[in-house]
Amino acid sequence: MTLRTFRRGTQSLGILLGVFGATGIGMTHLLFPGLHCYACPLAITVCPIGLMQNLIISGTVPFYFLGVVATYGLLLGRGWCGWFCPFGTVNDLLAFRKARFVRALSPLKLLVLLGTGVAAWRLADTWFCKLCPAASLTASLPYLGLGVAEVNTPFLIHMGTLATVLVGMVLVARFWYRYLCPMGGLLSLFNRVSFFGLRLRADRCTECGVCARSCPMGIEPHQKINSSDCLKCGKCIPACKSSALSIGFSLPGARGRDPLRASGTAARADRVPPRQ
Amino acid sequence: MMRTALTVLFVLGVAWGGWGQDVRLTLAPADAVGDWAQALVPLRLRSTPAQDVAFDGPPLVLSQWGEVVLGTARYTLLLGIRADGQADLWVDANRDKRISSDEILVGSRAPGYVEWVAELRATPSGGEAFLYPLTVVWPEGRGYVYLVGGAPRWGEFAAGGRTATVVLVDGDLDGTYGTKGDFYAVDVDGDGIVHGEPDGHERFALGEGFTSAERSYRLSHIDPGGAAVRLVPTGYVPPKPPLLPGYPAPELRFTTFPDGKPFALSDLRGKVVLVDFWATWCGPCMNELPLFLELYEAHSGDGFEIVGLSLDTSERDLRTVLAERDVGWPVAFEGKSWDNTLAQLYRVYQIPTSYLLDQDGIIRYRDLHGNELAERIVELLSTPLAPVLVEASPVLVPVLGPPRPILEVHAPPEVGLVPGEGGMFSVVLVNTAPYEAEEVRIFLAGLPDEATAPEVELAGIPAFGEREVRLAVELAGAVSPVLSASIEVLYHYCIADACFQIQDAVPVVFAVGEARPRPWAIPAWWILIALGVGLVLAVLLRGRLLIVAGLVLVGVAGASLIVGVLRGQATQAWRIASVLCTSCVGIDEVRTEDVTLPPSIRDALAAFPGSAHLMVFHTPWCKSCPYAKALVAEVARANPRISYELVDADQDRDQAEKAGVIQAGRVIVPAILVVETGRALFGTSDLAARILAALGEIQ
Repeated sequence: MTLRTFRRGTQSLGILLGVFGATGIGMTHLLFPGLHCYACPLAITVCPIGLMQNLIISGTVPFYFLGVVATYGLLLGRGWCGWFCPFGTVNDLLAFRKARFVRALSPLKLLVLLGTGVAAWRLADTWFCKLCPAASLTASLPYLGLGVAEVNTPFLIHMGTLATVLVGMVLVARFWYRYLCPMGGLLSLFNRVSFFGLRLRADRCTECGVCARSCPMGIEPHQKINSSDCLKCGKCIPACKSSALSIGFSLPGARGRDPLRASGTAARADRVPPRQ
Repeated sequence: MMRTALTVLFVLGVAWGGWGQDVRLTLAPADAVGDWAQALVPLRLRSTPAQDVAFDGPPLVLSQWGEVVLGTARYTLLLGIRADGQADLWVDANRDKRISSDEILVGSRAPGYVEWVAELRATPSGGEAFLYPLTVVWPEGRGYVYLVGGAPRWGEFAAGGRTATVVLVDGDLDGTYGTKGDFYAVDVDGDGIVHGEPDGHERFALGEGFTSAERSYRLSHIDPGGAAVRLVPTGYVPPKPPLLPGYPAPELRFTTFPDGKPFALSDLRGKVVLVDFWATWCGPCMNELPLFLELYEAHSGDGFEIVGLSLDTSERDLRTVLAERDVGWPVAFEGKSWDNTLAQLYRVYQIPTSYLLDQDGIIRYRDLHGNELAERIVELLSTPLAPVLVEASPVLVPVLGPPRPILEVHAPPEVGLVPGEGGMFSVVLVNTAPYEAEEVRIFLAGLPDEATAPEVELAGIPAFGEREVRLAVELAGAVSPVLSASIEVLYHYCIADACFQIQDAVPVVFAVGEARPRPWAIPAWWILIALGVGLVLAVLLRGRLLIVAGLVLVGVAGASLIVGVLRGQATQAWRIASVLCTSCVGIDEVRTEDVTLPPSIRDALAAFPGSAHLMVFHTPWCKSCPYAKALVAEVARANPRISYELVDADQDRDQAEKAGVIQAGRVIVPAILVVETGRALFGTSDLAARILAALGEIQ
């Protein structure tokens, strides 16, 4: 089984968990390890970002939320985005056009996360939910079909954000997860310290840059392995002709988990390989 | 001989003074005493009976159940609507838990309500059973009935060489005399009329004494069955001044607000005076203010004066209104609401209450409003020193009684506190009446200086609604192991144009335990700090140090998870996610504006010929639910045959599930269920029109 097939399987599991309510199981106490609206008629899990906002509004110190998110983060880091999240799968399926990662925009998703929290705190409202493209897809549209929602201003706002993000995804591969997803921002804090990650054998790396060209996120795995923007999707692994890259569970900070330059080899002067 | 006679006289005197006078009481015939002897208590009806009771009657399209408790006897009521729309009332009179067809009561119908008269056997504990006359009034289409009764009993007693009538009323309709809420009245002035109105000078609480023929008495014993009361002499009790037309108005002395000038009502002799008890929180009072300003401007130069006696508790609100409306007449403010000394002097039990005095300070009229008030003022000003009215005919015939608490306060009798920290506890407030309790303030009284507890305020608790509030107590220093305090609940409510403010108190005991930290209390903040530090280190560290940081973070994440679960946050997450507030997730608009029904919809609702019962499902965190509740209340106001009830979908998920306001496993709020058809309406867009359309589906 190739890595790609295996990843498609886990992504299918993510979608399956997202719609597991179809079996008749109601809402559970579990948090979804990604962005999936709890308002989805078939959801059985709680959206972490939705919960975070509600906890901030109610003034609760969110131990349960932090514990679960930290556990998820330590387990896979942003691997959840690349391997499990249903909205990440949509990003993946629309990743037609690779583009260079604009590193200056990377903190945007943390700013969205911060803005979501501040809006909940100061305005006592779940503003992110009202703009969330995942909620547009998994809640607004289904409820329109069920006769609960109507075509009104909130619905049109949802559709507007969904359309914008979808267009963004088509133009820039994994646009949402690159720059905007607050859940991705939250998990990115754990990316270096998570137990699931890429490993690089420095002795085999020729710094040819093929891995970087294969990366849908437009980052350079061999330069900054397991960086906060890496979804750990593993697309770089089969691309590497010298088999220098591998993926799996290992201790954070173990050999091969650090960037190449940290292991003693000088970084290439040009850093970013030329696009073909 | 003389000595023996003196001894006998002494013994008789002691017997008279110590044992008093037993007064035999009998059930007063209907209408023999005034309407004031008929208490009125609302009773909420529910979709299921409180006891397991079977019904053998005809098929019904709508059944609503209630229970009346008279002493130890519990009677189940069934209000049933037949297919042709006829409403009937059955009572399980023999208490065999089976209502048969012949247990139906004969009702009399009037526009807007149906009335049934029942006679049930009250079985007071410690007294003889007796037949209790009870009237059940159903405002058509509502989810509640009014119980009207009180079983007034009367008798005669000798006082100062004449006989006086005593009336005992079961004011709380519990079938037992002498309990909280009951009262008695005595014809103390011997005029043949018992003035037992809520502010009548001949009405007394059970613990209150009275004076008749210059002798004072109090009740020392009340038979629970109402067969007799015992009156014993007591220390002198000042008689209550009558507040009836023809009697002089009690003197008022106060310092005016806000300028602090001394004021005396007697200084206004020669002027026509309107004495007005009011408050800024009282809607009907504020509605009258423009008329008062107009009258004052027109007639103050002709010898007309207004005296405003404010029952406000907020000095800021009163100051704002006086300044904005440019009120020029003297105003009294004590900030004590119903405990205001001037209001107590006038036995004010509802506001607005007003008295119009003539130039001699004699009460001529009370509770005049609008044009009638203006006409009487002109009449008194133009006919100075007219003959005084001497006939005592009360203008007001209240049936509601004095302000009665409408909120039940449920709180734990004992609360544990941690020394140096404090604790939290829940108080549940249940509105038992069909009136909204407004501006509800909950606070703790009687705590020592070392303990503080912030006040909690709710905008309102709707009719028959329920709210839970969390009260926090913080301990700043050493306190005694047991603290006694009271939970004070202050609110007001209005019935038509009469407003009442209530302050209720429930005792609570705080047990201050050992200074033993809860297992999760101390590490809680350390977890957050450790998590933050761990994340920073995860970015900065490399190699083996990063391994250590990762393993430490695993421990911290686990600890945070455990603390969260112990604090019930997993359940909190489930609760938030399993009840879907459509406006919170951007599926529907957030509606917070005031509700106004378009005239066309209001007319169409008023013309709705059938009856309907609406259930409004809501949660405390739902943004649009207050709008939906207010709109349904407006709908019910537009047509008395439309009733409604509020259901907290978070607290009562079973009912929400039974009602079917569920889509794909989510209870959706706000949702409105039309009980007759089972149709559920979600969201708030065009809600009034959709309710109207749904009502049209009722056959």
